[in-house]
Amino acid sequence: MSGQNDETLARGLQRKDPAAMADLYDRFGRIAYSVILSIVRDGAAAEDLVQETFLRVWNRAQTFDVERGALGPWLLSIARNRAIDHVRSATARMDRNAFELDAHEHPSLFVDMEREVVNSDHARLIQKAIAKLSQNQREVIQLAYYEGLSQSEMAERMGQPLGTVKTWVRGALKFLRDEIGQAVTA
Amino acid sequence: MTCEELRDEYGAYSLGIAQDPERSEIAEHLARQCPECVRGVRSAMVMVTAMSGMVPSVEPPKHLRSRVVGMVERETKRPFFGLVLPWAISATLAIVLLAVVLPSRRPNADTAKLQQALAILNDPAAKEVTFGETAKPSRGRVFVSGSKGVVFIGASLPAIDTGKTFELWVIPAKGNPVPAGTFRGETDATAVYVRPGPVPADAAAVAVTVEPEGGSPQPTTTPFLVIKLSGT
Repeated sequence: MSGQNDETLARGLQRKDPAAMADLYDRFGRIAYSVILSIVRDGAAAEDLVQETFLRVWNRAQTFDVERGALGPWLLSIARNRAIDHVRSATARMDRNAFELDAHEHPSLFVDMEREVVNSDHARLIQKAIAKLSQNQREVIQLAYYEGLSQSEMAERMGQPLGTVKTWVRGALKFLRDEIGQAVTA
Repeated sequence: MTCEELRDEYGAYSLGIAQDPERSEIAEHLARQCPECVRGVRSAMVMVTAMSGMVPSVEPPKHLRSRVVGMVERETKRPFFGLVLPWAISATLAIVLLAVVLPSRRPNADTAKLQQALAILNDPAAKEVTFGETAKPSRGRVFVSGSKGVVFIGASLPAIDTGKTFELWVIPAKGNPVPAGTFRGETDATAVYVRPGPVPADAAAVAVTVEPEGGSPQPTTTPFLVIKLSGT
């Protein structure tokens, strides 16, 4: 998964070469499916959302910086956002905030990023870091990552004051950033 | 708010769970390419991406690869008119959208909105309905893509009081209306509103109501527009 490969692959997508799409799927199909399935917990829906994720990358490849962009992180961000949108839609939590996830998919946020961030070494690193969180911190991170709950929704779900939940979220994210940030930031 | 005040929220923002006012403040800083916030959110995005490592790895079904690749192979083999016609339609609407959208002060955010709108218009499965051609005072066109969202283009919209807003609803064949975001009309009573994201698979109609500022979880007034999607 070298930078050169990312660049070559991105150029292929920009040329609308179906072979590039096949390569993209071979590299990221499994992890995209895994992320989406872990959120929507429905195989058929996960397949639809994987298709939508790859189509979105295909349609937006022209906006991707082939020299500095990180294809994998961009695709995984799209995958998670599609899945969270789906879950929010299914639970009628389609408030106006829910539709701003798209802003998190802009390719400009994925330039100069470590492309290897999705490899197995970093998977072990994040698993270790999450295991070190307190029970409450781990719970808020899981509610955020897998269900996309807002902090107010978490507070309601957990029966805790909003301020307490915000403290847990901030503490957990700071800990994770400190644990893995240096290792994965270019 | 200053970058210093927003720094602690970069992670929550990147996870999609930040709340106002921090959420909209960060979005505003990103839209104007604030270097510190762009750097901070990028760094947080790394962390969110790394979180995919906590997900158990599952082998996707074998047929999914051919489904994904086949989708773009079919697209690249589409006949000339099949390719040109949707783009011609999109280009026309893009001009309309550009004329309406771009005069505002947030070019990056609006470019993103335009891209979202074009994605909806380019979806071959999107339903398109023109409304208000006869009796209704408000007129316009709505595009609904099950997977990509809704584009609403309206004219002659009713005047609303300060503290009120328009709210769009997707009405499924069964069940309650699903809120699809709020928007305001321009001074000439027009509006172009793009709501990206999937809509209920059994969407039967789109409606617009007048609601208190910030919107409502369910309609509190009778819709002044109900646009049926069936038969399109």
